[in-house]
Amino acid sequence: MIEGLFGALAHLMTPLPFLYVLIGTVSGIIVGAIPGLSGAMLIALTLPLTFYMQPVNAVILLIGMYVGSITGGLITATLLRMPGTPSNVVTTFDGHPMAMAGKPGRALGLGIAASFIGGLVSWVVLLFLAKPLSIWATRFGPFEYFTLILMAMVLIASVTQGSMVKGLVSGFLGMLVSMPGVDPSSGQPRLTWDWYVLNGGLKLLPVLIGIFAVSQVIGDIVTIGKRMERIETRVSGMLMSFKDWRDQAFNMLRSSLIGTWVGILPGIGASIGSIMAYTAARNMSRKPEEYGKGSEEGIVASEAANNATIGGALIPLIAMGIPGSVIDAILIGALMIHSITPGPTLFITNGDVVWAMIATALVANVVMFLAMMGSVRLVARIMYVPRTFLLPVILVFCIIGTFALDNTMFDVWVMLIFGVVGYAMERAGFPLGPFVIGFVLAPLMEEKLRSGLMMTAGSIEPIFTRPLSLTFLIIAILLLLTPFFRVWREGRARRRAATAAAAADEA
Amino acid sequence: MIKQFAVAGLAAALSMGMASSALAEWPEKPIKVIVPFKAGGTSDQVTRAFQVAIQESEILPQPLTVVNVGGHFSIGARQVMEANPDGYTFLTLHIALMGGEAAGLFPFGYRDFTPVATTGEFCVLPVVRKDSGIDSVEQLLEKAKDEPDTLIFGANLGAINHMGGIQLENLVDGAKFRFVQIGGGTANFTALMGGQTDASVLSAAEVANFTLNPDGTELSDAQIKPLAYTGPERLESLPDVPTLQELGYDMNYCIQSWWFAPKGTPQEAIDGLAQALEDASGTDRVAKFYKDKMFGSVFLKGDEMAASLDETWDRIEPVAKQAAQK
Repeated sequence: MIEGLFGALAHLMTPLPFLYVLIGTVSGIIVGAIPGLSGAMLIALTLPLTFYMQPVNAVILLIGMYVGSITGGLITATLLRMPGTPSNVVTTFDGHPMAMAGKPGRALGLGIAASFIGGLVSWVVLLFLAKPLSIWATRFGPFEYFTLILMAMVLIASVTQGSMVKGLVSGFLGMLVSMPGVDPSSGQPRLTWDWYVLNGGLKLLPVLIGIFAVSQVIGDIVTIGKRMERIETRVSGMLMSFKDWRDQAFNMLRSSLIGTWVGILPGIGASIGSIMAYTAARNMSRKPEEYGKGSEEGIVASEAANNATIGGALIPLIAMGIPGSVIDAILIGALMIHSITPGPTLFITNGDVVWAMIATALVANVVMFLAMMGSVRLVARIMYVPRTFLLPVILVFCIIGTFALDNTMFDVWVMLIFGVVGYAMERAGFPLGPFVIGFVLAPLMEEKLRSGLMMTAGSIEPIFTRPLSLTFLIIAILLLLTPFFRVWREGRARRRAATAAAAADEA
Repeated sequence: MIKQFAVAGLAAALSMGMASSALAEWPEKPIKVIVPFKAGGTSDQVTRAFQVAIQESEILPQPLTVVNVGGHFSIGARQVMEANPDGYTFLTLHIALMGGEAAGLFPFGYRDFTPVATTGEFCVLPVVRKDSGIDSVEQLLEKAKDEPDTLIFGANLGAINHMGGIQLENLVDGAKFRFVQIGGGTANFTALMGGQTDASVLSAAEVANFTLNPDGTELSDAQIKPLAYTGPERLESLPDVPTLQELGYDMNYCIQSWWFAPKGTPQEAIDGLAQALEDASGTDRVAKFYKDKMFGSVFLKGDEMAASLDETWDRIEPVAKQAAQK
């Protein structure tokens, strides 16, 4: 093992492979940071180039892009409230409020450090536990998936601030929007009104980019006449102090492990990883009231988790040939062209490629950290670039990126329409967070539940009899009740204080 | 007599001249091939293998550009059907097109395209868990008959593996699986590994990849075993697995890669691409790809391909209708 790893690391330190890591990671960061352009797209477009490269170098380039793109998205999510990729949506909840409060450097610094740690933790798991974990993951049946996702769904109630009714409406709207298309459980189209372009459904990227990035563009255009309040900015504080590390250590580790685990489970991606880590962090936090208003913990949880999904998703790919994410599926395609078939025997047949993957996951993570930290000062200024210059550029990229996703103009219209929808929702006071959670989670939840019901011919009993599934269900119920419990406890404390005060008055 | 020869010769020379000048005109720009799936799948790999082979061996003066149209495959197929038939837009797709048409998913089908060529095919194998106590297709179907609707068969409902399962059921009166939505090959392998499902069908490449060592010996921790092969002859790498036909079952289920053009595409472009694909089929690149993916190296074009499409349709239409009812 040591030999394989160090051999690959040594190869990575030679000029050409190192150049590939560098190009891969940096281009990943740039593409990731641009709303509308995603890592999957960059990698798909790079595929034809890699056919003419050595397989090992092809893998190095592609993994570098993968790592860079998931991190890059945090820049625009934090500074402009426009998530660069769907997996950074949760980062906007706290990253942007903190940046607006005059601490963009700190918000970015926390995100970058968390990304780095997330990548490292999942890498260690990848190195040591790939085989047993990926076998354990196959035991995860539909009911376990269902209750696991239910846990994250409960977050709808927690991220809602203000009117609970509006939060729920927004969540249900998100679920509704995920419904049209060919029904995954029967292969029949539903809610498509015989409109064939809807057969593919309303896809993740166009809807999320519309709801978040385009709606923000519209909002910024509407207020463009007003002079930006030039709040005092401090780029300082971007390097985490010893105290920060101590405060965040547990949160980072927990979020990284959640992200890694979500990555290992095939078919559920980085966005779900960050939603789940955020749920966990918020519910265990001592300061849950700060979430959504610039909580440091929130940024850390989201970014540690989404980067951890990378290492996690590589685990089943390397151990069993099962792609853990969309990008991994493209990687398999790239390897096939080189006559390399990922599978349980990949270590035997193409050990050099496997070690290159593992080593690149580490080196790209370090390159990412250095490149991001080195450029924070410069990048943070994006916030103060006049919007008149910035907005058209962003809109153009949103359109190009959304079109390039699947080469259909329909997706572009979806994105623009959801931009208007998102803007209208914001104006009317409907929070966007619950919308995303409903939209991202509902299809998976439905598919898993229906698979499970097909297996048991309609019985939901296994939800309560399978130990893991029951555990997840209980946690979900507890999560749902915590906010109410908190309100009740605060109420009681207030009443007590009032009676105590009254008693003091009497005395 | 001499005069006749001269005329014929002149005519032949003329037509050859015309033909070659026409061929010289196509292609004068890159040829767009739409793969109606996301990058990375089997259709995408086939298309890209040919793209690389054609470019490497300089078979055409212009490159193929592969365009992945994701979402449901009917979207990309419809794009090609409605594209300007200028000879620069093509589609690669497989039996799913017929399955969807028969199930009434979309109001068009293979007859709305001009067939260009068939390049390679893969066949499938029914698989079960090793600890299932089932050792043959006969036992599998017997169990499905004795205890109907209990054996959990993982499939992507309405798709290739579901249609494979239904054809298996149809081999024995009264046999019935309980079909469950799991997904494609890797998802089904995962579900079988974890004991979520009892049976499925996997492609030859998937079976080899998940159960064999590189030297051809069996992987010790493989949890699944193939029961039979739906192709015409036994597989080289799985010599002990009988074909269904050997076992006396009338079932042959192979999935071919089809290249289509929009109706009205100039004949020279159709012939030109078909010829290029035929030439590319002979390259080492494609031969190696077929071997790795355990594809049968079938190549069809023109009337042969059209006849084969009709034959497949007759066979698959009732199966797809059955699949849609489940």
